[in-house]
Amino acid sequence: MDNKYMENMLSKMDKDLSKHGMNRRDAIKLAGLSGAGLFMGTTSASAEEEKIVKSDAKAKIVIVGGGLAGVSTAARLTLQLTDPDITIIEPDPNSVSYQPGQTMVAAGLWDEEDIMYKRDDFIPDGVKVIEDRAVFFNPQENKLTTEKGQVVSYDYLILAMGVQLDFERIKGLEEAGRALSSGDNEKLLDALGDSICSIYTAKGSVKTWEIMQKYIDQAKSGKKTKFVFTHPDTPLKCGGAPKKIIYLTNSRLKEAGARENAELTFYPNGGAMFGVPEYHDAIVGQFAREDIKYHYRHNLIEVDKEKKIAVFDAKWQEKGPWDPIMKDFEVIPKREKVRVPYDMLHIAPANIAPREIGESDLGSSKGWIPVNKETLQHIRYLNVFSIGDVAQVPMGKTGGSVRKQYKVLVDNLIALMNDKKMEAKYAGYTVCPLITDIGTVMLAEFDWTVKPTPSFPLDPTVERWIFWLMKAYALKPMTMYGMLSGRA
Amino acid sequence: MKKIVLTMLFASIGLVASEGEIPYTIGLKLTPQPAKIYAAECASCHGKDGKQTSFSGFPGGIAYAKIAGMDTAMLAKTIKEYRGGVESKDYQPLNKYGYGAAMLAPTRDLSWDEIDAVAKYINGLK
Repeated sequence: MDNKYMENMLSKMDKDLSKHGMNRRDAIKLAGLSGAGLFMGTTSASAEEEKIVKSDAKAKIVIVGGGLAGVSTAARLTLQLTDPDITIIEPDPNSVSYQPGQTMVAAGLWDEEDIMYKRDDFIPDGVKVIEDRAVFFNPQENKLTTEKGQVVSYDYLILAMGVQLDFERIKGLEEAGRALSSGDNEKLLDALGDSICSIYTAKGSVKTWEIMQKYIDQAKSGKKTKFVFTHPDTPLKCGGAPKKIIYLTNSRLKEAGARENAELTFYPNGGAMFGVPEYHDAIVGQFAREDIKYHYRHNLIEVDKEKKIAVFDAKWQEKGPWDPIMKDFEVIPKREKVRVPYDMLHIAPANIAPREIGESDLGSSKGWIPVNKETLQHIRYLNVFSIGDVAQVPMGKTGGSVRKQYKVLVDNLIALMNDKKMEAKYAGYTVCPLITDIGTVMLAEFDWTVKPTPSFPLDPTVERWIFWLMKAYALKPMTMYGMLSGRA
Repeated sequence: MKKIVLTMLFASIGLVASEGEIPYTIGLKLTPQPAKIYAAECASCHGKDGKQTSFSGFPGGIAYAKIAGMDTAMLAKTIKEYRGGVESKDYQPLNKYGYGAAMLAPTRDLSWDEIDAVAKYINGLK
């Protein structure tokens, strides 16, 4: 770990603590944790390291995608294999940017530099990098081809290329194309203009802060200002982000004394705030307390940038006439285009798997990579694994899920290389540090049981300042220096 | 503290440069290759030179204008209209001259970058 970074982070945190009349030890006691537990998450890095038994198995491993999932997996494989032969295929030199920080950037709390990292600083020793994109897959022959035409063969393939942000499916934004989180995304930002924003790209989160300030000023000047927020009809990475940006906008409006002139409305495609009933109830309570309006089952399909109108595909059901045969009332599905005027529109874009996957034999009909959700092994090609956002694993397209998945994947891959039974299983853990205000976070942890699975002995539905400290100060070093080196 | 900053090697082992042409698939966010797109999606009806004005592959045969040398911006706008929004469920294809369905199939997967490139290519056909 980077000592200087840690010290800097701790001194910033101490300042924050002393404003509340506390020192670090009190804060840690309050959380009911050991120091290491708070800063390194729930696993102790040193205990983890002792368990590692190195394997002599030898094979050529190719990882497609050098983001958090791909690089963490490569790092852990390097730790566990005596003679690793690993190649990462990744065109973007900033692929390991700290995406969870994009909400912080969008709220003006962090700068862009706080989340930008260079891929090559995190590539483990001896791991080869091909700066290109894998676009054609031939899993029958264990080969793939890159955009520049290089053919790469492999013994084992790990697919970790993440999702694409599909702005072009929204009518009126077709020229935005499909974006990735990092990169300059100029075409996207030009297409969105000065009233539409999205924190789903790094550059977009910087622009979001500019746009948000503009409309907070407008509200402050006494003009009624409408802030509209969306949530798409596809799986979404960090499903909490569309709500975090609402809460942060709300927080900044209150701080500016402009909340009364602002109307905040959330239009999610789904019919609930959260898949876990406990967290759903908590969020509904928070929305009521903060006077944030919401309308379920609205999917953004069109934007009129000139007139500043967002068009939603709204669905609902109505009670129909009595059916004498079924002895019940009919249910009539209704559908309507709803036109919503906005001043500032925040779009959480549809997330889709890169099309090259759907075009190949590796993808499902929807483009995601079908894997055994517990072992992360491909259902047809047994030497192929997938991890992170692109894997067809229910719930949890988050860095928190990856933190559990990459250890499972590495254990199973090494077991397979040694002709042993794959015993590691992923149980669906994911986490959403839901920022509800500047200074409070509700740490929503859960898994496939769809019940809260808190790591801390505290009520998980309560918003806490201590989790804000964790989100603002501890999770980044844990991710950047713990996970990316394969240890945390 | 372990140093993380490490070397990057451009892969050499186990990698063989491909021979012959690299395949091109539309809709993958690749750098557009308009000649290949035109050959795959347009040439069967409009002809390699963009001057063909009838096609007997449809029952009864159909007729249309020659497209070679048309204005780039106009071509791009029209193709984008034919294509419509991605996956917008209630989208009604533009039925200009009655060719909506015929033009939807080949344009459906094109990105706007690819349409712009192809429009320029058609404009350049002599």
